[in-house]
Amino acid sequence: MTPPRPPFLDGLTASLPIVLGYLPIAFSFGVAATRAGFSATEAFALSLIIYAGASQFLALALLSSGAPVLISAFTLIAMNLRHVLYGPALMREAGDKASTRHAWAWAWGLTDEVFGQALGSLARGQRFSEGYMFGLGLGAYAAWVLGTVAGALAGGGALEAWPAVSAGLGFMLPALFLALLLSILGRRQVPVIAVAGLVTVAATLAISATSGILLGMLAGALAGMARR
Amino acid sequence: MNGDLLTVALLAGAANWVFRALPVITRSDRMAPGGWLERFLSATGPAAIATLFVAAILPALTPDLRALLPVIAGTLAVLGVYAARRSVVGATLAGALVHGLAVWLTG
Repeated sequence: MTPPRPPFLDGLTASLPIVLGYLPIAFSFGVAATRAGFSATEAFALSLIIYAGASQFLALALLSSGAPVLISAFTLIAMNLRHVLYGPALMREAGDKASTRHAWAWAWGLTDEVFGQALGSLARGQRFSEGYMFGLGLGAYAAWVLGTVAGALAGGGALEAWPAVSAGLGFMLPALFLALLLSILGRRQVPVIAVAGLVTVAATLAISATSGILLGMLAGALAGMARR
Repeated sequence: MNGDLLTVALLAGAANWVFRALPVITRSDRMAPGGWLERFLSATGPAAIATLFVAAILPALTPDLRALLPVIAGTLAVLGVYAARRSVVGATLAGALVHGLAVWLTG
């Protein structure tokens, strides 16, 4: 019998689709940062310190338009408030015995995609392990930071010569979310998923994409709470 | 290094750490077993994934059939491979590959 693989390596393997999804997005962030007049070091610092995709693009717009520092910071903070729901949702699936001794480090990596992948693996019956969370989070974090640096160093127009490659890589995140959705799909989840999806569409069209994400998530969770 | 940029990054980054790590460290999911909070939290995961999928696919939807074709092809590839293999990684990679190929063929 072969010994089981360390959970860290399992996590690193599971981060592969996220890595492939993050690289082109982080790359385009690096390109956008240099176009907005920031240096490669500054783009690197934003990805290393903030590590939240959509809000980093917003940070570029705010900082380059000269918005006040505190208003910029609070806008970004409000945008990332949704992350506060991920830890409890994940730990609830992980169970009471799950260790959180090193959570101060690995939970930093709980982005939308890392959370989705971790929750999906628990839903498929895998046991929670901090090593797995480290592997999953580290792969994604490294891809995000390295992709940013590569984009900032390459400058504008690097992916424009390869539209099919760029499109395929750009489809990686919707494909990942759809696959994750399929992996957790069950009769109990249908009302939650339907409400979340419909509210996201309505709020995105009526208000903004950020409101769509926040309100969709909230409406779906409330639908689940109302269920007996 | 731009001082304003560093300040904004540090404030937003510190908030991100608080949002992501603090609820795990304090095990805030244990607060109300069996109650409304537990039902709310257990529905948060599926709601979040559904929301993120819709938010990711929405900008790609267009009435232009030529531009929509790669999205449909990629989506069908994800559904097909997941149904056949039950693999999230396999389905994701197949979706991206088929989408890229469809863009190349229709482009």
